Amino acid sequence: MNALRKLTFGYFALLILLALTVGSSLLDLGGFNSSVNLAIAAAKAVVIALLFMHLAGGGILPRLAVAAAGLWLAILFGLTVIGR
Amino acid sequence: MSTTTESVAFDTRAREKAADTFGMWVFICSEAMLFGAVLLLFFFARSSYGPAFAAASQHLSLPLGTLNTAVLLTSSFAIALAHMFTASRRWRPAVWALICTGLLGTIFLFIKAMEYASEFKEGLAPVLGAPFRFSGPDPTHAELFFAFYFAMTSLHALHLICGIVVIAGMLLLWPGTTEAKRTHRVQAVGLYWHFVDIVWVFLFPVLYLINRA
Repeated sequence: MNALRKLTFGYFALLILLALTVGSSLLDLGGFNSSVNLAIAAAKAVVIALLFMHLAGGGILPRLAVAAAGLWLAILFGLTVIGR
Repeated sequence: MSTTTESVAFDTRAREKAADTFGMWVFICSEAMLFGAVLLLFFFARSSYGPAFAAASQHLSLPLGTLNTAVLLTSSFAIALAHMFTASRRWRPAVWALICTGLLGTIFLFIKAMEYASEFKEGLAPVLGAPFRFSGPDPTHAELFFAFYFAMTSLHALHLICGIVVIAGMLLLWPGTTEAKRTHRVQAVGLYWHFVDIVWVFLFPVLYLINRA
């Protein structure tokens, strides 16, 4: 039952975040709309990874894989932005 | 102990499960690199041609995009339930949750196909040799936006189709599959499905929500 409650909480959190992202995009946030949208998307990804994909409780190896991907993506994005 | 494992390569079930999960995560992370590179290209183009991309983005259907996001989030919830049910060996609800996941994935594709049809009709699809007609400013870079849009969403749809096919295959083989393998497979396909959901979670604001205010 505890697992079901956790998943249901995650699902409703995702729907609320979806409403927030659509709602905020209709407001003029003075150039911050894209940043807010990306921050909400990142929050949704964290909810899915932690509650649906059990990233927090699945041992160290999955987290290591995610950290490695994050590092390589940071290099990819970082060097592109620097080199621009 | 080796009788409880599927492969002779592992001594215990726990080690086999850890290796399977790690393998799946490595695969997902390699997929993240693919989508990450495409998103980087998009951000680069958008920072160069912001007004044209914003004007082009207004032509995408916000209600259908929002509905599709809700459908995909619900499908992720369904497959998370399937995983929960298989973990407690409740096979019948697990099968229903998997069927719901596949159906929701199909509904997503159907809505996406409706959007594509409307964009082809309006002349906004610079793919497959279709003519591109755009009345707003800077049609050349608006065409670039739609090229990105079709490339990114069709790549995502291709991943979703693969997920639906795997779920359908898993359900077809379900009666003759051992309980350990069922749990195994549902976990693996679940991780993949959630990843495809995460990709859409980023594609939706990036493509649909540019300068809507």
